[in-house]
Amino acid sequence: MTKTRGCNVGGRCQTLHMDTRELHTTCTIVPPYLLVRLAKLDDPRFAQAAAAARASLLRDSQIRQLRGGAHPFPYSGARTLPARTPGESDRTISDAGGQERLPGRRVRAEGQPAGTDPATNEAYDGLGATQNLFWTQFGRDSIDGNGLPMDATVHYGKQYDNAFWDGERMVFGDGDGQVFTRFTISPSVIGHELTHGVTQFTANLTYQGQSGALNESISDVFGALVEQHVKNQSTADASWLIGEGLFTDQVEGVALRSMKAPGTAYNDDVLGKDPQPDTMAGYVETEDDNGGVHLNSGIPNRAFYLVADALGGNAWETPGHIWYETLTGGALASTSDFVAFAAATADTAARLYGNGGAAHDAVMRAWATVGVVAAIPSPLPQQPAPPPPPSRPGVPRPPE
Amino acid sequence: MKVIVSRSGGTAGIRLTWEVRVEEQPDPNTWAEFLNSLPWDDVTDSEATPDRFAYRIRCAPHEVVLAEPQVNGPWRDLVNRVRAANGM
Repeated sequence: MTKTRGCNVGGRCQTLHMDTRELHTTCTIVPPYLLVRLAKLDDPRFAQAAAAARASLLRDSQIRQLRGGAHPFPYSGARTLPARTPGESDRTISDAGGQERLPGRRVRAEGQPAGTDPATNEAYDGLGATQNLFWTQFGRDSIDGNGLPMDATVHYGKQYDNAFWDGERMVFGDGDGQVFTRFTISPSVIGHELTHGVTQFTANLTYQGQSGALNESISDVFGALVEQHVKNQSTADASWLIGEGLFTDQVEGVALRSMKAPGTAYNDDVLGKDPQPDTMAGYVETEDDNGGVHLNSGIPNRAFYLVADALGGNAWETPGHIWYETLTGGALASTSDFVAFAAATADTAARLYGNGGAAHDAVMRAWATVGVVAAIPSPLPQQPAPPPPPSRPGVPRPPE
Repeated sequence: MKVIVSRSGGTAGIRLTWEVRVEEQPDPNTWAEFLNSLPWDDVTDSEATPDRFAYRIRCAPHEVVLAEPQVNGPWRDLVNRVRAANGM
């Protein structure tokens, strides 16, 4: 099993006394005033991050592939001819027919009309919605930024309670019918899985401990944005739920996770209560689930929601851009922890939207609210206007 | 003697645990033989991959953690038997 450096070894995290030299290698609590100062200063780390992010804006996908940890997958020649227009979807849905063999029988290719199988149609539409968000909002052409065909398999396994990205394709189970229904039912889950592919091709965050929880959170963030974008929901209108509709009627719960209120998505006799923490005070140390990657993701999830809530409007705009540029800009290490990610998003916000501007401020406050950085002081009250000087004897008063 | 299978991870991140007390089964000897025959010492670490299940299997003095793709052969058989004994 891959172990990460720093605080993630063994899935445990220690809160260490702040030391700026440890910013990118260990789990530290950095006071926000220091983060602000670092962002303002010409610190070489931030300069490099800024330069790398600017470079990524050139959207040179070949450079990205060289930098990223993932390898492009071989294309079948037939599927890449004739030359495709950038941004166009290239989807293929296959049906595993209840087996666990991939890819299964091909049932719908790009441009073919919908059939009668809901899982196939939902997968096809969800892949399209994900491609649409990344292309129209972030200029990213598919998972690898270079038009990688989007492939998915539905009806995987028997009563299979999961969906995953296997490094090459999306795989969806039908659920057991008691707890879970089919996993294609939720656009946020489809967006979540495909975003694991985007992360694999960009920051390639190690799936263990805090970097793993960030990997999970980034998938939730863009999964939620896929759903909000396709439904044209503003931050205020959106549910901020991941996997809404995935539970059967027998479960006391609305979704897998809530980004707005982590820990409140379900409370059920069989499943127990949603165990996600919403601040660092509740950080879960466990050896299960790769160090609780699906639990502690609640903390950065809520930070993103708080940024969106502070800024209002559509979350895929300013908040989404800050997170996307942070993910793809080259400033993150594969072992980045929450503090490093917080610093990187603050740096991105300052660079894209102005140092000390509303977006930068919202990001700093969000990370402070969830306890990743120490409580941020309120803006210093303006000095009260000096009282008019008292009239002194011997000083002529201005004429009334 | 008891065997505990705990499944964590998956995109849901929900941990489910199934337990079998061998003495309470209709065929305890078969269970004991089967549990003793499992390749407890042959399990190797594997790369963590997003949203796959991880299985922690405990049967004192043994404890192993298997990534989902490793749950095949006798391990698959064990997980299926333990779930079936729990009515799932």
